[in-house]
Amino acid sequence: MSIKILTVEDDNSIRTVVRMALEDEGWEVLEAGNGEDALAIFKRDGANVVLIDIMLPGIDGFEVCRSIRRSTDVPIIMVTARDDTHDVVAGLEAGADDYLTKPFEPKELSARIRALLRRARSADPEMTTMTFGDLEISPDEGLVTLSGEEVHLTKTEFRLLVELASSPGRVFSREQLLERVWEYGYFGDGRLVDVHVRRLRTKIEPDPAEPRYVVTVRGLGYKLQA
Amino acid sequence: MTSAGPPTRTRTDDSRRFGLRARLIAAFGLLGLILSLILSSATYLFAQNSLVNRTQEVALDRANQNAAEVSRRSRALDDEEQARLLVEQVFTPEGSAALFQVRDGFFGSSSIGFGEEDIDEGLRIAVEQGLAVQMLADIRGETSYLIGIPLKQVGFRAAYYEETSLSGVEDTLNSLRLALLAGSLLSTVAGVGLGFYAGRTVLSPLSTISAAATKIASGDLDTRLSADPDRDLQQLSHSFNEMATALQDRIERDARFASDVSHELRSPLMTLTASIAVLERRRDDLPERSRVAVDLLSADINRFTHLVEDLLEISRFDVGAADLDRQPLEAGEFVRQALKMVGSPNVPVRAPDIDLFINGDKRRLLQIMQNLIDNAAKYGSGATGVEISRAAPEGFGTPMVQISVIDEGSGVPDAEQDVIFDRFARGSEGGRRGSSTGTGLGLALAKEHVMLHGGRIWVENRSGGSTGARFSFTIPEYTP
Repeated sequence: MSIKILTVEDDNSIRTVVRMALEDEGWEVLEAGNGEDALAIFKRDGANVVLIDIMLPGIDGFEVCRSIRRSTDVPIIMVTARDDTHDVVAGLEAGADDYLTKPFEPKELSARIRALLRRARSADPEMTTMTFGDLEISPDEGLVTLSGEEVHLTKTEFRLLVELASSPGRVFSREQLLERVWEYGYFGDGRLVDVHVRRLRTKIEPDPAEPRYVVTVRGLGYKLQA
Repeated sequence: MTSAGPPTRTRTDDSRRFGLRARLIAAFGLLGLILSLILSSATYLFAQNSLVNRTQEVALDRANQNAAEVSRRSRALDDEEQARLLVEQVFTPEGSAALFQVRDGFFGSSSIGFGEEDIDEGLRIAVEQGLAVQMLADIRGETSYLIGIPLKQVGFRAAYYEETSLSGVEDTLNSLRLALLAGSLLSTVAGVGLGFYAGRTVLSPLSTISAAATKIASGDLDTRLSADPDRDLQQLSHSFNEMATALQDRIERDARFASDVSHELRSPLMTLTASIAVLERRRDDLPERSRVAVDLLSADINRFTHLVEDLLEISRFDVGAADLDRQPLEAGEFVRQALKMVGSPNVPVRAPDIDLFINGDKRRLLQIMQNLIDNAAKYGSGATGVEISRAAPEGFGTPMVQISVIDEGSGVPDAEQDVIFDRFARGSEGGRRGSSTGTGLGLALAKEHVMLHGGRIWVENRSGGSTGARFSFTIPEYTP
């Protein structure tokens, strides 16, 4: 089955030309011009990666993202406008794995999609299950449970947790996490890490305000507390 | 606000030496002085006049009375001995004395010792001729009032002289003069004080306005003056606020325009960028001409996109919406990563042995490096080195780190070293587009980024025999 990318973009021209660029990479492209169509198509056909523009008529991109997130951990990329820094954080908080600002080069988009597809596969079949208090992480199965109950994490949140868990107690800087999880370098956007840590905490911490597992080390980064 | 180079200050050397406040104080003080001097002088003159006149009247009265008395008693005079006795009986108050002239003999009274030699020659002659005369004379060093009255009712030649010392009056007048002077002095001081107070009252709303204007100039466009309770000043604060609002609207509208235009351009640019990518992928299938056209399009769309991004970036500065996302960065590591990112990983970096940390916004600092490296590539044949060092503290003594990008080109002419950081500055090298994507805003943006951090940026030509330019900027050091 070929890889399916769902693009949600209301501008006709952009949608057409992005479809052509992605098809050139060998992917199948499903198109939606608004949020309602996007949700319907996703429900009917599914997708491997979803690309959502924030500016949509009717229900906005954030809402589409949240809706999709409720039922699945499919990788989502938000397309934002360059100077709306709030949009970046809002998009990430709504459940996106990454973001791009318009206008972007199609080859940049392809690179991000490929990174997400890599992340979508199981983390590491060689890693054994790790237990920290009530938290149990199985990298080979791609499963996380808290007090026995399965926790639904996105692929990115999962990768982030596994990275931190690979060396419990070790402090990882934002740059290191950006490199390992998102495959970004030194100049990656630290907000990606910050918002994902926040999202992770709401899902696995008994009290997200007082984290017991994923702890912030001021000025240095984050660590997983054993 | 920091300047774009080693600080130059322009002094208004033709400004008045004495400001409004000083002149107000001087004016009030002078007014106090003049008024009090006029008043004092008038008072003094009046007092002097009345005192002297009064004394004169009293003395004249007394002299006449005494003269009449002496005249009456003289009718029974037989010899000089009696004359002497008579004079001694004349009443003269303290400070006056009487003299009785009988034929050619002079007989004085009281203790003061008023004698013939004290009578002014002219007065005596006049009196001997039968005139009653009065004059001011200097008797024994004191100013005195001298009255001479011929005694006509007596059978022999006789005259009565009386002198009244004015020293008492003089003393009084001296005291008065001192008192008035002291009063004038006090008035002047009071005037100065009043001037000071008036100055403060007048200048205080002015300094409020000045402070508000400074705030607006530094970017705080919302600054307004609160309504002044003083009726006369209300118009001033009202007008100021109107001006500030008009200014703010204008600035925001201009900035929003640039921002709105750039925003609107985003979507068509997206289509252009993606379409060109699709075309480029099929480049080999295209005929020669189309291929050339696609290549040209590709380069210019790239350049156009960067220009729009730069415009958006700079409009955020103009409207005051630029924010700083700071974090501690090791300067050496940052520079090396930045060089890698902009495609110049082999440029040698000279840094001190110790780690130097800067408190900076990674994205913005990267843009600064990008623009400086691009500039070196465009006009300086490529950057040949980057140097990191500690710089002199800025402002409140914040320690700064200096990063310099060096090239071996032809340097920047002295006259252009300031304007090169202006927007769309076209120096002597300008007009050549070359193969780079320079937008004309590169250095201007770099300057804005540096200034947002609180640092400085400048260019100087290399010294010591080598040609080339040295672009330097400072960023606050991170101190945990």
